Amino acid sequence: MIIVFLGFSCRNSKSKTSEFVFPKSDSIPVSEVEKLSPEAIADISKNIASPVEIANLLQTLQVPFSENYLAQSIDANRQSTSFNKALTLGILGADLGYLNMYEKTGSSLEILSSIRKIAEDLKVGQFFDFESIKRLSKNKSNLDSLLFISIDSYNKIDTYLRANDRGQLSALMIIGVWIEGQYLATQVVNVYPNKMLSDRIGEQKIVLNDLIMLISPYCNRDPEFSSLCKDMQDIKDKYRDIRITYTQGDPVSVEKNGGLTIKQTETSVVTMTKEQLDGLIQLTKNIRDRLISNN
Amino acid sequence: MKKIIITLTILFTFGLLSFGQVTDPLINSCAMSAGSDAKYLKDFRIQLGKTSNQNDLRFKTNMSLWKNTKYRFTMCNAQDSKGQLILSIKDDNNKLVVSSFDKKTGKIYPFIDFECQKSGIYQISYDFTDGQQGSGVGVVSMIK
Repeated sequence: MIIVFLGFSCRNSKSKTSEFVFPKSDSIPVSEVEKLSPEAIADISKNIASPVEIANLLQTLQVPFSENYLAQSIDANRQSTSFNKALTLGILGADLGYLNMYEKTGSSLEILSSIRKIAEDLKVGQFFDFESIKRLSKNKSNLDSLLFISIDSYNKIDTYLRANDRGQLSALMIIGVWIEGQYLATQVVNVYPNKMLSDRIGEQKIVLNDLIMLISPYCNRDPEFSSLCKDMQDIKDKYRDIRITYTQGDPVSVEKNGGLTIKQTETSVVTMTKEQLDGLIQLTKNIRDRLISNN
Repeated sequence: MKKIIITLTILFTFGLLSFGQVTDPLINSCAMSAGSDAKYLKDFRIQLGKTSNQNDLRFKTNMSLWKNTKYRFTMCNAQDSKGQLILSIKDDNNKLVVSSFDKKTGKIYPFIDFECQKSGIYQISYDFTDGQQGSGVGVVSMIK
């Protein structure tokens, strides 16, 4: 049974967007950020691409695993500030997702002990179910449970930090996850050029403004935050001329195994030159390497 | 008496400490019911009272979905729910992409597989059929 949702296109309440563009203003006014409700901030944190999704794409493209992409130089015992700890927690979380997806669960134990140390330092260790993760890591057949518990632990930490007026740490953790995921994708595409992967990198333009909104309230808090805010603006500048356009189409659905399968025919198209991609690869590497060398 | 107080204090303290680690059993079972080919991404806990206003689904959240990725949206109901959990997905133009509830036939699909071809931020909405009171979980996974 095939159903074409012809009627749905008539429900469009806004004019159709044929291209994704950043908001006109270069900087987001603080008043705009302050208007964000806790629910809106929670939504933003959900909008960021999971490193698991990026690792999944790499696997689909049959890109081999490499330990060289991991932030191996991080020493959990040398994290001096809450800023460093929260950012590092995000970076290591992305690495953990990459390791888990490639079923390198043995290697993940070392990262897990670093995550445990940092989480405990930030007083959020109680939300990370280390023993279960460690137990599941020892058996490759437990991948689904392992992914669930790992991601669920990070989600709990994020929710707890935001609920307890430590939103700045939640923002840092999310940005750490995103930067490490972006580093992973850009390093891989540098070695294994692939249109699907470079498109995914280009499509990050869609969530970049949300990330900047998340950290904006803290940009004047101290020099560490100011520097990170500048990094994010530099990344935004690199994305400015990368284009994301849309072709129109209606979804097609078919019943399968008791569920409904939907194939979207509307598509997003990324237009990015080699120079633009190279610029992103270099900038991401510079920022990420500096962030982990600060630790 | 002193021993009892100390014991109670220890039990209470450890009870509180371990409380934060407990994962909702419904989330756990729903994530596992998504299938062996599904890799967990996110979950949403939905608890809603009865309403007479059924114009739109009440629980709303946003989520980025990425091109060339197949997502599975699984809906699970708590035993005491009066209605069944349903889902709709709209794109950033507020265009309905899919609903798990077919209004014409009344059919409710327990899961939806969505082959995303347009990267963007989508509005994910949940409610219970007929605006009924209910409690449930929506789990989002990736599939091959």
